[in-house]
Amino acid sequence: MKVRFWGVRGSFPVPGATTNRYGGNTSCVEVRPEGGPTIIIDAGTGLRKLGKELMSGECGSGQGNLHLLVSHTHWDHIQGLPFFAPMYQKGNRLQVYARQRDQHLRTVFASQTDSPYFPVPFHRVEADVSFRELLEGAKFEIGPVKVSCTRLNHPWIAMAYRLECDAATVTYVTDTAPFRDILIEHEFIRTPPRPGDPLKPEDAAKLEEMRAGVVRLCEGADLVIYDTQFTPEEYALRPHWGHSCPDDAIEIAQAAGAKALALFHYDPTRTDDQIDQILADCRARTRGLELLASAEHLEITLGKDGLQATPPPGQQEVKRWK
Amino acid sequence: MEVTFYGVRGSIPAPGPDTNRYGGNTSCVSLRTKSGALVILDGGTGIVQLGRTLMAQEFGKGQGRAAILITHAHWDHIQGFPFFVPVFIPGNRFTIYGPGRSSAMLEGILEGQMNPNFSPLHTMRNLGAAIELAAIDTAIDPEFIESGLIVRGHLNPHGNTTALAYRIEEEGKVLVYAPDAGYPPSGPSPEAIALYKGADILIHDCTYTPEDRAARLVRGFSSIADAALCAVQAKVRHLVMTHYDQDYTDDQVDALAERCRHYLDEMGGIGIRLTAAREGLTLTL
Repeated sequence: MKVRFWGVRGSFPVPGATTNRYGGNTSCVEVRPEGGPTIIIDAGTGLRKLGKELMSGECGSGQGNLHLLVSHTHWDHIQGLPFFAPMYQKGNRLQVYARQRDQHLRTVFASQTDSPYFPVPFHRVEADVSFRELLEGAKFEIGPVKVSCTRLNHPWIAMAYRLECDAATVTYVTDTAPFRDILIEHEFIRTPPRPGDPLKPEDAAKLEEMRAGVVRLCEGADLVIYDTQFTPEEYALRPHWGHSCPDDAIEIAQAAGAKALALFHYDPTRTDDQIDQILADCRARTRGLELLASAEHLEITLGKDGLQATPPPGQQEVKRWK
Repeated sequence: MEVTFYGVRGSIPAPGPDTNRYGGNTSCVSLRTKSGALVILDGGTGIVQLGRTLMAQEFGKGQGRAAILITHAHWDHIQGFPFFVPVFIPGNRFTIYGPGRSSAMLEGILEGQMNPNFSPLHTMRNLGAAIELAAIDTAIDPEFIESGLIVRGHLNPHGNTTALAYRIEEEGKVLVYAPDAGYPPSGPSPEAIALYKGADILIHDCTYTPEDRAARLVRGFSSIADAALCAVQAKVRHLVMTHYDQDYTDDQVDALAERCRHYLDEMGGIGIRLTAAREGLTLTL
């Protein structure tokens, strides 16, 4: 299968000269199994350009069959959907998967384009859009792809996904805080605890279970795509925002015996040069795990022949490993 | 008055190497009055960078005060607000103006943006700054005084909705901000031209080339020809283009400006100055 990145940024899109190489669009990843339907994970602003490309294929004639897995409905993970051209072409089918909320998912998604926020209300969308509500632990199939999911440590709760197909496995783990300092669920946290302060035993138990779920989800994965929004200094100030640092991602990927880790969901303030440096530092202190920095247009081929990462023209080097 | 552009893009932010020169952030313009007051026009993603700039000043100490004038509630005009750092600093004060029958309606719109399904902020009540909301109902009272400025609003047609255009006057100097205007085939209304009349600077919607506008009429945006027509009819001194389509590259915006110049000249506006707004541009009135 092929994995392509269309948006790698967290919080909000960041246009500008310092984000040209890794990209300024919010989260969106395409997974294309051999002979299977197109699967999209998250619908940040990166989705707009993916949509344009899809319109030059089956979606342009209303024969698209698309599946969208949504980690959670914070703006940076859904704000591209109203600009997704295949949704406005009659005949296309779009199946959206996300965690169950206390409102129906259709209601949640439709309210993004309610008046007065957007000119085209959801009921005027031409494609056949359906929703599947998930609970953590759900297992299902999308064509030849086996999908499973587990919950993450993030405000209002996010979902991580594992996709298996073509003798390869990719997991998508964002957004999440590490599983040690604070339990983040539905309550608004005004003042966070200091990282390292003792936890309530019931919170510690819940976090331990959550971490085990994530390690299980990533077990033996060929590629783990993981939230690495923060530097350790930023995390110390904002543990309740629900994001991790590269070392947290490395720790989980190694515990799971994964082969490769792609840093993902960069803070909007992170420049290209800083990401270069973070990747170099992580590589220097990590053994037994391939490290990549996700970037718009980076394409990764996974399968029985190992993994090959093809960067956008003029950037990084092609990497291959078994 | 000093005007600075922080976001000049329409619909959705457009990151990438081909938008570096004009910028890919959605609508936001800041206005510093002669008396030193701050007025912010729209809260697209451009407001994030404005917020960082402001934090180095009184807003960083919780002593800032600004008015935010929202033209309408489409995402590209409000989506930067939850990331505008000065609203998290206790002591800062904001008055947000926008179209609506009541301030409760305006509050509902901003609350909808902060809803926990979509934002970790949950509600506006979790922002540290004091926020006052003021709805502008042009049918009842189109004119008000803010920070010593005379502000007048007019609702332009915008697809299936409307968007406010603002005329802002300080000691005889006039700035007009009119993004998102989709005039009917008969052209801009006499009321719109009256609002723009004699402006020192008219910042006007220039989303499209005339061809692209014709292909996307229902979206309710202006072409450069519509903007040039308004500038000429209203006899403004300086037309500033903004709200470029998200698919236009820097080179296409260059071409847009060149064609807009031709339209102005053809229509009898040879003396009207023309600028294509870009992020970071500052103009003084």
